[in-house]
Amino acid sequence: MSSKKPNLCNETYFNEFYLQHIQSASNFAYYKCGDKAGSLDLVQDAFSKIWENCSKIDFTKAKTYLFTTVNNLFLNIVKHHKVVMEYAKAVPYQEATNQSPEYLLEEEEFKQKLQHAISMLTDAQREVFLLNRIEGKKYKEIAELLDLSQKAVEKRMSGALKTLREKIDNI
Amino acid sequence: MKQEKNILKWFNNELSEQEWDDLKQSDGFETLNKIAHYSSYFQAPKIDAEKALLGFKTSHSTKKEVKVRTLNFRTLYKVAAVAVIMLSASYFMFFNNDKSFETRIAQTKTLVLPDNSEVILNSASLLSYNKKTWKDKRDLELDGEAFFKVSKGQKFTVNTDVGSVEVLGTQFNVKERGNYFEVQCYEGLVGVTYNNTQVKLTKGKTFRIINGIIENVEDFNILEPSWLQFESSFVEVPLSHVIEELEIQYDIEILLENVDTDQLFTGTFTHKDKNIALQSVTIPLKLSYKIDKQTVTFYEYGKN
Repeated sequence: MSSKKPNLCNETYFNEFYLQHIQSASNFAYYKCGDKAGSLDLVQDAFSKIWENCSKIDFTKAKTYLFTTVNNLFLNIVKHHKVVMEYAKAVPYQEATNQSPEYLLEEEEFKQKLQHAISMLTDAQREVFLLNRIEGKKYKEIAELLDLSQKAVEKRMSGALKTLREKIDNI
Repeated sequence: MKQEKNILKWFNNELSEQEWDDLKQSDGFETLNKIAHYSSYFQAPKIDAEKALLGFKTSHSTKKEVKVRTLNFRTLYKVAAVAVIMLSASYFMFFNNDKSFETRIAQTKTLVLPDNSEVILNSASLLSYNKKTWKDKRDLELDGEAFFKVSKGQKFTVNTDVGSVEVLGTQFNVKERGNYFEVQCYEGLVGVTYNNTQVKLTKGKTFRIINGIIENVEDFNILEPSWLQFESSFVEVPLSHVIEELEIQYDIEILLENVDTDQLFTGTFTHKDKNIALQSVTIPLKLSYKIDKQTVTFYEYGKN
């Protein structure tokens, strides 16, 4: 991308673009559809759309285009999975010294509640929430990515947190 | 409301110390903190980017070729050339305005032209005209012999290699065989143009040229050419032309042994019987003949 006129029709630039964004795009697709294999297919299709239309896409807008395409492709899919996220590993909430069996059980219960609560979120809320939490993205970045205003992202985040709190506290 | 804003700030890592302390005191902070903590430990499936790219290339590489398609001018030229050839060929095949009629040896044909003029073609003759210009100009090309009954109308012209015949409405016979050219008028007035001079023929008159020399022929008073009655009549015609006519009518080849072909023949032969025809030509000239399949030999009587 240091070159003056990067063009996605150029295979070198395309490969670079692909390698750079495949992970985040497939994460995004996964947050939306919750299907491991399906999310990669979605992203591959999105990339192929970019490859086909490479001459029409401005290189600087390609990332937004990619995410928008994933989003659109996702909306085209009728089959909708219930999105249940998986934890990477057991991460204690408090210091290791403080772990009584009772406490650990409680924590495990909380984690399950959280999983369930997240699956109850709307697609729009969940994608914002997970992009923020897992990928540590700022609202502004998410807004750019999804082609939304920052206000809209904040609203979704707010809504997501509210729902989560209600679900977890009440159940 | 304020708290909600601060929570948002918190999740966006924009919270100040003061605000952070305030938030900690609020209701439900514990739950939120746990949410914030645990939710960041979810994970999405790891993608092997290189492998995915390879998979992408293999499954989508075919699409790449469809993308660019240049117009192949060489093929275009080929197609255009074929189209032009086919168009022009079909033009000549279907729009050819020349209409022609042909008779073979020992065959006659009666034709009716678009203006209802009648033409009877004698053996081994070719007649053609242009359908398109026929309305403006009644022009015909003739090679051989034909009898015309021309219906009244504009000038009617028969062109031959030797000369042309012009009429308005009449009946006449044109005969053009090699260096023998003869026009006979059976009705009305016929104009014959030969070497830029025009000769007018009235009923019963004959215009004859043999080897480029105009011959004087006596008047006749028959109503139509004798060949229409399947006979060929000759008045003082060199034997060579009589033999030519015999060959055409009977599809034979006539060989001569010590026979003078310049001697003149006056008489008639039929088109129906070869032996009678041969006799009616040879006997008055004191000749004999012998037949060997398609070949007939004339020789002087009493010499063989």
